[in-house]
Amino acid sequence: MYENRQGNVGEIMDSNRAMAKIESGLPQIVRELSKRFGNNHFTFQQTADGIPTLWIPRENLRSVLGFLKNEAKPAYPLLFDLTAMDERLRTHRQGLPESAFTVIYHLLSFGRNEDIRLKVALSEDTFSLPSASAIWPSANWYEREVWDMFGIVFEGHPNLRRIIMPPTWVGHPLRKEHPARATEMEPFSLSDERQEIEQEALRFVPEEWGMRRQSEDSDFLFLNMGPNHPSVHGAFRIALQLDGEEIIDAVPDIGYHHRGAEKMGERQSWHTFIPYTDRVDYLGGSMNNLPYVLAVERLAGIKVPERAQVIRVMIAEFYRLASHLLFYGTYAQDVGQMSPIFYMFIDREKVFDIMESITGARMHSSYFRIGGVALDLPQGWDKRVREFIGYLPSRLDQYDKLVMKNSLIKRRTQGIGSYTSAEAIDWSVTGAGLRATGFEWDYRKARPYSGYENYEFEIPIGNRGDCYDRCAVRVEEMRQSLRIIEQCLEQMPEGPYKADHPLTTPPPKARTLHDIETLIQHFLNVSWGPVVPAGEASVTIEATKGLNGYYLTSDGGTMSYRTRIRTPSFAHLQMIPLMSRGMMIADLIAILASIDFVMADVDR
Amino acid sequence: MTTVHLMIIEARFAADLLPLILYFAAVLAVTGIMLGGAYFLGQRHSAKAADETFESGIVATGDVHIRFSIQFYLLAIFFVIFDMESVFLFAWSVALYESGWPGFIEALIFIGVLLASLVYLWSSGALDWRTRRQRKVDPDYQE
Amino acid sequence: MRWNLTKAENDTAPTPGQQTYEEAIRRNFLFARLEDMVAWGQSNSVWPFNFGLSCCYVEMATAFTSRHDIARFGSEVIRGTPRQADLIVISGTVFRKMAPVVKRLYDQMLEPRWVISMGSCANSGGMYDIYSVVQGVDKFLPVDVYVPGCPPRPEALLQGLMLLQEAIGKERRPLSWVVGEQGVIKPVKTSQRDLLTEERMRIQQLRDPDHV
Repeated sequence: MYENRQGNVGEIMDSNRAMAKIESGLPQIVRELSKRFGNNHFTFQQTADGIPTLWIPRENLRSVLGFLKNEAKPAYPLLFDLTAMDERLRTHRQGLPESAFTVIYHLLSFGRNEDIRLKVALSEDTFSLPSASAIWPSANWYEREVWDMFGIVFEGHPNLRRIIMPPTWVGHPLRKEHPARATEMEPFSLSDERQEIEQEALRFVPEEWGMRRQSEDSDFLFLNMGPNHPSVHGAFRIALQLDGEEIIDAVPDIGYHHRGAEKMGERQSWHTFIPYTDRVDYLGGSMNNLPYVLAVERLAGIKVPERAQVIRVMIAEFYRLASHLLFYGTYAQDVGQMSPIFYMFIDREKVFDIMESITGARMHSSYFRIGGVALDLPQGWDKRVREFIGYLPSRLDQYDKLVMKNSLIKRRTQGIGSYTSAEAIDWSVTGAGLRATGFEWDYRKARPYSGYENYEFEIPIGNRGDCYDRCAVRVEEMRQSLRIIEQCLEQMPEGPYKADHPLTTPPPKARTLHDIETLIQHFLNVSWGPVVPAGEASVTIEATKGLNGYYLTSDGGTMSYRTRIRTPSFAHLQMIPLMSRGMMIADLIAILASIDFVMADVDR
Repeated sequence: MTTVHLMIIEARFAADLLPLILYFAAVLAVTGIMLGGAYFLGQRHSAKAADETFESGIVATGDVHIRFSIQFYLLAIFFVIFDMESVFLFAWSVALYESGWPGFIEALIFIGVLLASLVYLWSSGALDWRTRRQRKVDPDYQE
Repeated sequence: MRWNLTKAENDTAPTPGQQTYEEAIRRNFLFARLEDMVAWGQSNSVWPFNFGLSCCYVEMATAFTSRHDIARFGSEVIRGTPRQADLIVISGTVFRKMAPVVKRLYDQMLEPRWVISMGSCANSGGMYDIYSVVQGVDKFLPVDVYVPGCPPRPEALLQGLMLLQEAIGKERRPLSWVVGEQGVIKPVKTSQRDLLTEERMRIQQLRDPDHV
């Protein structure tokens, strides 16, 4: 059971429906599942975020997933996340089934507008699960990641090999016994033999992926569109099987950008982890802080004052603008136009100037804090923001003429890389990539967070789901972000910028120097950081690239027990082979440009 | 008479030849300096990877000595055919006045035959470089 | 917790010449004029390699665009292949999976070549003391200039480039592998922090965060 400090059950700033569910007993879907499968082995777990969480036995996994995806009405078609947790060191587990490792499936239903979380308990001797990749194609990479990070085997998976760590890695990093620090391991050295071994391990072997080396008339050329390539937007590799210029098959290879953010969360305090979240989607800046601090606030039952919420929305939308401007510029550049990116970077500089004057840093500002924001807005911020709002729309119109109405851009991107809404949902595509197919779903409208229900804005959608539509949707999103920023500007409320809660704000300094209790409190709060009550919470936001969710598990300590970062770009990259088979390399470049991914978002 | 003639021809040859020889020598010198300079100047660099192909930082899979698909051959043959056509037309244009009207008509027939073959190639889709999937994607675009 | 520090002793750069920097200047005055000219040419046309790892790459790209314009400093063209590039800017975290790739690219660059380590992660691993990150690119590459920051501003990268240009101007490289002293003699790397400490101590007015 979840209880916060005041002892009230369900004191969460969630939508009212979730609260009603908790108060009225078991959620609707749990009752449906019990009716279908019998009530015997399911255990219901109450979590701080109100998402129905159900423990199911291994044997029922496939059938439950199939039921939820296909038969439940309305169904849960989107596999939001598939991850695992090492529960061997967790202490606050009363009422939960025995489990050494737990595999967690998080599904999303558009029709019901709610999520469900399924958990499967694994012990040390039953260390495998049937694969879900037959049910959702996007489960493929998620299961590879769980195998890589935890060592859990998925039976029936087409190609279970490491995805994030190098192929020569020994050990499974997210297990609790694996060393976290580089300084706890052997110091790194790259002798010539080591270099040879590593490069050989990275060599692409077509037979491992079921590819043939030749057709009856011609041989295939295997080309690395490798980690160092201007068009792959970061350290990303695609191994291409080419027949002439036509792509027969493509295998994306990730992991070149793995910074262990999830493991880092297990040894940073709740407060000091915030800069690490900034760098997960490095174009998103403080937008990435938002789901993390919202999740911590939900775990701790902290209510954020209104001014802080409006400031957060404004900063998040500014970073959305910056990210979309960079996407726009690199999209035009990849398709062939060399000039627009320079203009867009000028606009980004203006955004960064504003960010620097408010937060102190350009790209990674780490401005949000648990319970609010770090500093109040400086005097004179509204003048700068107003200037910017007046400046950008005409520039966007110019870019429309320069880029979107250009016949070459249209010729190279319309019809290329298109997929239907059903395919997108199957492959866990979210964000603008989903909206470009005509599916109207934006997390800010469907489940408003941080006060988004108070703003008027529209959700642009496309109709064909091709590269052109994805760019058009993002361009229109930029205009809507400007609208939101203008509303933030006009309606900025007065008030505190941080919650007055013992976990967020240190006590007043005068009292600290007076009595020992306050001093102890102050000292602990500053040195250890906040101690968040035990529980689990997952908060998702509509980030720049799609749905970004943080699933935090607290064991009642100063550090997170498990930080799961669900990033949108991880799922988007899986779709590349589907979109590019049978196209030419030039189309693949246009497709990559239109997906809008960032490698730190993929590998964390 | 013929010896004087020959000597005059030789003298003219010599006068014409000298600039040519000088020019040839200058070309050799410049090339020699460029290649020799590039060979001798600067540092030498020995790393195993430097002699291998650059494939975005990873070792390559397979070789480039593979059997190409047939469309490259087709395109090369088309080029050769139409290139040879223009060679013949160049030859005809030099002797334009000497060949007169019959030459012109023969040349027209020659061009006409090749034009017909071009129309055939165009309409049969041999000049369409798109892949099968690209053709499905873009039905409006006519080559 | 047991942790180790390693020093970059296994330097894979070409072995420096046997003379000191001053001796190299005094000897060979005739060649010194020619070497000066060559060094001037090299320092003012440092062509970077299109290489970026992480968030610092975005700030590097910002340095390439019109507001900061690295082309003013001679880095006019960004080469796509390492064989045509002079400078590799390790911009971003060096991941263990990426380290062999970086080494291979560095090996494929031709002399003269320089390395700028941009950002805290490339300098020393930064805030990522984690299993998958190499604690600094100088564990396997010789670095000429370290640019601190997370990420460093584009102006900081440009200052790093200017420092590199000064250093290149003072370098002594062999004119030919056939004749002359082999081995590169580089000037001593000085810390800008030490050079500028006095000036920074004199600053009394700092911008306060409550006014724009």
